[in-house]
Amino acid sequence: MAATTENATETKVSQRYFGRAMKRVEDPRLIKGIATYVDDLKLPGVLHAEFVRSPHANAKIKSIKTDDASKLSGVIGIFTGADVNDKVGTIPCAAPLPGGKSPDHTVLAGARAYFVGHPVAVVVAETRAIARDAQDLVEVDYEPLPAVVDPEKALEEGSPLTHPELGTNVAFTWSVSGGDVEAAFKEADKVLKIRIVHPRLTPMAMEPRGCAASWHAGESSLTFWSSTQIPHYLRTLLPGLIRIPENKLRVVAPEVGGGFGSKLNLYPEEVVVGHLAIRLDRPVKWIEGRRENAAATIHGRDQIGNHEIAVRKDGTLLAIRTKIIADIGSYCQLLTPAIPTGTGNMHCGCYKLKAVRVDITGVHTNKMSTDAYRGAGRPEAAYLIERIMDLVADELSLDPVQVRLKNMPESTEFPLNTATGLVYDSGNYQAALEKAQELAEWPKLLQERDAARDAGRLFGIGVSTYVEICALGPSKTMPAGGWEWGCVRIEISGKVTVITGTTPHGQGQETSFAQIAADRLGVPIEDIVVLHGDTATAHYGRDTYGSRATALGGTAIVMSIDKIIEKAKTLATALLNSTPEKVEFNDGKFFVSGEAKNALGWGQLASEAYIAKNLPPGFEPGLEASSFFEPPNCTFPFGTHIVAVEVDRDTGQVKILKYVAVDDCGKQVNPLLVAGQVQGGIAQSIGAALMEKTVYDENGQLLTGEFMDYAIPRATDIPDFVLGSTETPSPSNPLGVKGVGEAGTIGATPAIANAVVDALSPLGIRHLDLPFTPERVWRAIQGNGGQS
Amino acid sequence: MIPAAFDYVRPTTLDEALGLLAKYGEDAKVLAGGHSLIPAMKLRLSQPKVVVDIGRLGDLRSISEQDGKIAIGALTTHYEIESSDLLRHSCPLLPEVAGKIGDVQVRNKGTIGGSCAHADPAGDWPAAMLALDAEFEIAGPRGSRTVAAKDFFVDMLTSALESGEILKLIQVPMTAKTAAYVKFAQKASGFAIAGVAAVVDKARKGVAVAVTGVAAKAYRAAGTESSLGGLELSETTIATAAQKAADGVDPLSDIHASAEFRAHLARVLAKRALELAAGRG
Amino acid sequence: MKLSATYAFKAPGEKVFAALVDPAILQKCIEGCEKMEKTGEDSYDAHLKIGVAGIKGSYVGKVRIEEKKTPESFTLQVEGKGSPGWVKGKARIQISPKGERSELQCESEGQVGGLIAQVGSRLVEAVAKKMQDEFFRKLGQQLGG
Repeated sequence: MAATTENATETKVSQRYFGRAMKRVEDPRLIKGIATYVDDLKLPGVLHAEFVRSPHANAKIKSIKTDDASKLSGVIGIFTGADVNDKVGTIPCAAPLPGGKSPDHTVLAGARAYFVGHPVAVVVAETRAIARDAQDLVEVDYEPLPAVVDPEKALEEGSPLTHPELGTNVAFTWSVSGGDVEAAFKEADKVLKIRIVHPRLTPMAMEPRGCAASWHAGESSLTFWSSTQIPHYLRTLLPGLIRIPENKLRVVAPEVGGGFGSKLNLYPEEVVVGHLAIRLDRPVKWIEGRRENAAATIHGRDQIGNHEIAVRKDGTLLAIRTKIIADIGSYCQLLTPAIPTGTGNMHCGCYKLKAVRVDITGVHTNKMSTDAYRGAGRPEAAYLIERIMDLVADELSLDPVQVRLKNMPESTEFPLNTATGLVYDSGNYQAALEKAQELAEWPKLLQERDAARDAGRLFGIGVSTYVEICALGPSKTMPAGGWEWGCVRIEISGKVTVITGTTPHGQGQETSFAQIAADRLGVPIEDIVVLHGDTATAHYGRDTYGSRATALGGTAIVMSIDKIIEKAKTLATALLNSTPEKVEFNDGKFFVSGEAKNALGWGQLASEAYIAKNLPPGFEPGLEASSFFEPPNCTFPFGTHIVAVEVDRDTGQVKILKYVAVDDCGKQVNPLLVAGQVQGGIAQSIGAALMEKTVYDENGQLLTGEFMDYAIPRATDIPDFVLGSTETPSPSNPLGVKGVGEAGTIGATPAIANAVVDALSPLGIRHLDLPFTPERVWRAIQGNGGQS
Repeated sequence: MIPAAFDYVRPTTLDEALGLLAKYGEDAKVLAGGHSLIPAMKLRLSQPKVVVDIGRLGDLRSISEQDGKIAIGALTTHYEIESSDLLRHSCPLLPEVAGKIGDVQVRNKGTIGGSCAHADPAGDWPAAMLALDAEFEIAGPRGSRTVAAKDFFVDMLTSALESGEILKLIQVPMTAKTAAYVKFAQKASGFAIAGVAAVVDKARKGVAVAVTGVAAKAYRAAGTESSLGGLELSETTIATAAQKAADGVDPLSDIHASAEFRAHLARVLAKRALELAAGRG
Repeated sequence: MKLSATYAFKAPGEKVFAALVDPAILQKCIEGCEKMEKTGEDSYDAHLKIGVAGIKGSYVGKVRIEEKKTPESFTLQVEGKGSPGWVKGKARIQISPKGERSELQCESEGQVGGLIAQVGSRLVEAVAKKMQDEFFRKLGQQLGG
């Protein structure tokens, strides 16, 4: 346990709320439609911005004519790269890799457009309709150039270059390795080779992006609202770009309708809106449409891996050599390189690999950038190692579950040093697997498969035993601080205000942090409010992504509460006329041991602390504390998913017949929230496995730019889940919490994939790439391949 | 997401609507349920200067028996058809098709007339209309005329409606219960990658099989029909006949399904639709 | 998108060729061509309103005739842009005389971008084929049947 709770007061924490499946306090306002999203903001005199975007994947911009558009009544101004780029900074990447080559990412296109959707100009008008009309009238003269679309071809000699000034399409190379890979391969009984592709995905948050900015000329300060996951990072990054001091900028994330990583970025549109609000001295608002969202909000995944696996006949994994090509699109966005490197670091999965080497090449293409999307590198890692395990089992004619067990560490071997250098905090992979098999009625399921196969049906069972890394993370490994901040204040009335530096956007911390605080302070949960998302209120923070909020934000709050309890105890001791050893704190009350009737509650203490007439010497007024929690390590949730599917031989349609998930996220603050996260993650994985793929044609035209063509799962696509959990506390924080926001997305796709391949295996099919669309499956059955 | 500016008029009688269309010509577009027109307008793919909303023409919204046939007003919604007892008893193919269109919201607003007039190659209604040999009654500046289903769907997104005409009524025959519609939906849009409507007439030993989603317009699978003409329907005869369901057509191809897969699905669904239909009576 | 088709005409090869390089006739053959202005030897500016049913877009484009080998073959280059997107196409025309009649082989390839590529991709190939067929049908009419 971390040192934070080693204080003189034995904090008897009640368990009234922690662990309770409580409905969320956020939900009534969301369901009733009275929550405030960016588009709901009413800013007097606001102007509306619409972006003119490139319809070409790669083109020289020869000229931009704005005369006709400017003449439209109600148009305030039209700005191009020439008007803006030299007045603001360029978009930064917070995780550049040594030796990486990156072009300047100007906020609007300069001499060239690099992807379909690249913002080229912005129209500002009195109403959105006028801005939209003017947008049609802006004439951009493009000279189209051949587009770089295939990342493997982009590495060939003679390929057109996405950014000619870089002289190459290679954005970065990176590798991680451990152990003696050569020796392991020499020792191998067999070496398997497989190519595994993880397609590009579009996050498709329900609320597209949007932002608004208001310049307060009198104070020379700016308020900036954005549908963002990272108001604090924006407050750090925007000042340099729009040239105002950090302490004159307030950033607010109002209600955010889903992020999933796609709003973990500093976008050019945000910079432009902030800049224009100052330049025009009028509030400016921009709300994205779905087509823009599909084209110009960051995409996820898109990795091509070639793997060599050295194994012993008995199923022991000796080593893996992997080369990954990551199609990162035209620019590095905030964390672009950190996604495939995350895949590399988690390559070993749940297994004790002796040696591993992962080489990653990031490739620039004429597409939107890839960056974090729910799981951010770990779904790719879990997918490839879990496919590899099934391939190994198939090659060696071993049972896929036995092969996994053979290579898993015992629960006593943690903290576990992995071949890539990560140290997994705690784990009990066998327990999760066992529980999943129990919930899946494993022997019965195997019989069901046998019977189905006898009847000629394509029935398959897939297992995925996954581990992932989250609660990012120790600051030494993070681009700009991985700590988290939490503040707790007992108000004069005795009510409690909790302020977190995390930025929930659907995760439910207004409820779960109240549960934690209510228990630790011994107050009714109704007396607690949790504030977040506004840099004027939550002064510092590292926001929400990477399933970090509860583990890190929750701990910072606990630290602050403990400081308050310590301080309150001093005051209580004085008011009770006693000595510290004799004073106890229990269930929200301070009292002298044995004299519980004469207890002081928070209301009384707060009153005393602020009105300050009876304070002991040296006692600072107030009952408020804030803390920064620096985590000693990330956390490593894990689990097992078991899926049964049936494939329609004639149409290639895949039906999920059974879905069992056992996830271990350490201690659970609110099981309802955990279940919600797991279900949502699984739903997105079903999409990735069965229907989702971002498609660019050979000219770099985005063909999946609307929900007409990009299929995401509906309720009818989601099977009934059987959800279970094990609880292996994390030693990385005093709450014992690991994080669960992304686990479902990480564990599910491999299980579904393994099930589909298992279903097709009687036909001799050993591997099939995602997504398992009906036609792809049908072609595999016809023997036409189906590999991408 | 914002349409180009337009004027909006809402006639209260069919004659008034026809007058407005005559007046505005190419500049006008008829609005029924709006679930094809409004998305096209929001994308600015369609930019009518005048939208003529015929939603209040209550006379065009009805399902009734007329001279041994069923007459369905053009403005009848998919939901009204889906939930019609009369149709369930007398022409069950139609409620089955209606229930597979889009989703609940689309079915509450979308109309059979609007859908047919739009003639989307992947729409569901054309398959049923062709299989039933439906008749389309069209109102125009020069009076009314009737067009058979086989002549109504002219080409991709093109119906037989001339400029200034409004579809009034669709007449379908009463059928036995032996009819079925089987659909393979495009996962994202819900439109048919292939949809097959089969109507089996056991008394006359004939079948009608119509396919939508596969080609530039819906078509009758003549090869399948003639293979089964006069024959007893059995698993074998159906299987053989279904193999012809894509004969003579040029299937569409896109990122969701290649031409080859569409043709294959036409054959698979023809078999399933015929088996289902035959098994119902 | 690639299309390949053959069309027969009841007119000798030279006449077909001459018609194809005549802007007045070209304009009549292209459905929705509102204007075609000569801008140079074998090059034209064109204003087109093309599409399907109610979904028509206005495009401003350039047409160029290249690799002219009278009376046998030439290549037609077309590019246009409008608010629904842009189009770019190339058609290689080969005319084989067959006495008083002739046969025309058209190998074309086209690309579209912008909105029409995104939301209309399933229609694009069918519309292109339809436009091409319609073009040569009208040409046939111009040539007298």
